[in-house]
Amino acid sequence: MSPRSFLGTASFRLVAWYAAVFGASVAVLLLSVYWITLAAIEQQLKDSVERESRLLVEIYTTRGLESVLRGVQRRVSDLRSPRRFLLLQDPSGKVLAGNLDARTPDVGWSTIEVPAPPADQASRAEEAAGSAVIALGRRLPGGEYLLVGENLYRAEKAEDAIALAFGWGILTTVLLALGGGALIAVGFLKRIEEINRTSRSIMDGNLSNRVPMRGSGDEMDQLAVNLNAMLDRIQALMESLKRVSDDIAHDLRTPLSRLRQRLEVSRARVATPEGYAVVMDQSIAEVDAILETFQALLRIAQIEAGTRRAAFSEVDLGGIVSAVAETFAPVAEDSGHRLRASIERTATIQGDRGLLTQMAANLLENSIRHCAPGAVIAIALTREAGQPVVRITDSGSGIPQEEREKVFRRFYRLETSRTTPGNGLGLALVKAVADLHGASIDLGDNHPGLRVSVRFSGTAEDAPQAIQPEAVPGRPAFGGDRAVASSPSVGVPARQPAAMQNLPRASFRQD
Amino acid sequence: MKILLIEDDADTSRFVANGLRERGHVVDQSEDGRDGLFLASETGYDVMVIDRMLPRVDGLAIVKTVRAAGVKAPVLILTTLGGVNDRVEGLEAGADDYLVKPFAFAELLARVNALARRPPITGEESVLRVGDLEMDRLKRTVTRAGRRIELQQQEFKLLEYLMRNAGQVVTRTMLLENVWEFHFDPRTSVVETHISRLRAKVDRDFERELIHTVRGSGYCLSEPA
Repeated sequence: MSPRSFLGTASFRLVAWYAAVFGASVAVLLLSVYWITLAAIEQQLKDSVERESRLLVEIYTTRGLESVLRGVQRRVSDLRSPRRFLLLQDPSGKVLAGNLDARTPDVGWSTIEVPAPPADQASRAEEAAGSAVIALGRRLPGGEYLLVGENLYRAEKAEDAIALAFGWGILTTVLLALGGGALIAVGFLKRIEEINRTSRSIMDGNLSNRVPMRGSGDEMDQLAVNLNAMLDRIQALMESLKRVSDDIAHDLRTPLSRLRQRLEVSRARVATPEGYAVVMDQSIAEVDAILETFQALLRIAQIEAGTRRAAFSEVDLGGIVSAVAETFAPVAEDSGHRLRASIERTATIQGDRGLLTQMAANLLENSIRHCAPGAVIAIALTREAGQPVVRITDSGSGIPQEEREKVFRRFYRLETSRTTPGNGLGLALVKAVADLHGASIDLGDNHPGLRVSVRFSGTAEDAPQAIQPEAVPGRPAFGGDRAVASSPSVGVPARQPAAMQNLPRASFRQD
Repeated sequence: MKILLIEDDADTSRFVANGLRERGHVVDQSEDGRDGLFLASETGYDVMVIDRMLPRVDGLAIVKTVRAAGVKAPVLILTTLGGVNDRVEGLEAGADDYLVKPFAFAELLARVNALARRPPITGEESVLRVGDLEMDRLKRTVTRAGRRIELQQQEFKLLEYLMRNAGQVVTRTMLLENVWEFHFDPRTSVVETHISRLRAKVDRDFERELIHTVRGSGYCLSEPA
């Protein structure tokens, strides 16, 4: 990345702002320290001047002017450096002693300018500096004026040193903030660039590309995980769409060609109105079958797209199983089978009631249609390892081991069932509904027959324990609905009499 | 009956309108959403049949608009979208029924008739009567000529639906949707089986049949003439 484009990035702007704010706060901090330090130094000077002045006044009051005069003279001559300034004037303004020229007597604190001594006489830098003197003027009881002052050189020196140190401090702070920020930003931008590169690559048609991850589990990794999950989803949707169009292209063409041939042949051969009516009826039936297949394909695609998950609500699996069982029991009976339902313990899951009903119905119809008369078909809601399981078993011919995975494919039909009517989409839909609900579906051997287990994930919660017959959803028990006897073959929990039943039976020919 | 048909496909529109006219209904046709909306809000119709996808104004928008304007006439939505979500959307917009294209004319006719007959929700009687058949919906008992008939839950629901639409043809699909709440086509003869069980209980021991099969359409429960 060029420096120019780096300056235009959001991370750079963030870093710049960060450095500015951080620099400003450091500056405010240092300035406060600076002012406080200076005030402290000045106070120290004033204290020292005050002490000296008070001492001289005390000498005056206890021992008289002469002593003060001598004291001032001794002090001035003792001073090796001209840091301290003293002045004693008589009431007329004449200088009695001191190292300052006569001046207008000012009482209280003042800052006075003292000319620097010539450079050749100055023995030390402090002398050469000359500069300002902070002074305390006092009128003595006899009318004399006493001025004690101290050179501000020390304070000024400290001020310069502190200012210099603080200047460097702020500069270093800003530079460090900018440098550190830039380092962080570059690392960040590199991750962003990885995502951009992946996006471009996907737009160029490499749909299987994914954002690389560092395995650090940080926010960028989480973003990558989410983006990858989204890409997986989009790819799955596209594949599902593609499958549907392929299926339509391949599997609807056949019945449509068949219909066309039938119409063409009839046009040439049929001569009577009655004959036409027969052909028409057959053709309408064929078109209906095609439309039904088409509708089933779209439905599977819609389910696979997963958009219906948004409309999930709490669903009582026991209610669905018993309602479907009640619906299909007479159908099974009329085909010479016997249908049993049992609900060991009901369960509530998040799901789509309509689709779960269709799934259970499809599985039952599958058993009813593919079993020779006399079969025992059972639908049960049980719980295994804490998970609700809907199990449909029959005593038919089952599905050979090697075919079990294939039967969930669209339009896949077992050789043995080619002769029964059907579009080969029923189990594909069952699989789609199970996937939508995060349920696993397993085909097994019922010795003899087929055993289908739909295992829902552990998110299921127990339905309220004390279910009374009247409270079973969808199954209000009303007068006279006791034609059903409870099954002796399965343990019936005493508190759920209505959720468990053996449906009416007839023509149970197999023994 | 006075029926409004808003459908932009000319062939479908002619097919539906002619069929309804042959059965003695007055049909106003509109091929355009905006004109249709005007007719729907200005004229009093017994039933409105509205296509979901229309030029200029969407079918669902029409339903919402006329419902907001206080038009109470029942609405049947025609659609090529068969997803459950689409159906729910249609019903939420204020439509009363939903029919997926393509459909048999008999199906449409049965639904239009059922809609026109739909009783106001407040005035639902607790006792339904057809001839000597009586259903107490609160006590959940059924008697015919004073004799108690024991029904299973689904048989009760089925009979209740037939009685509420007495004298009207109800199709297999209508029964699946309203009695079983199946919005798919089962591959076994669910409706036929349950109807025959119900007949065995309601009609077998009596001289005159109440449940009739209407060939090519569905079933009808009606008093003997």
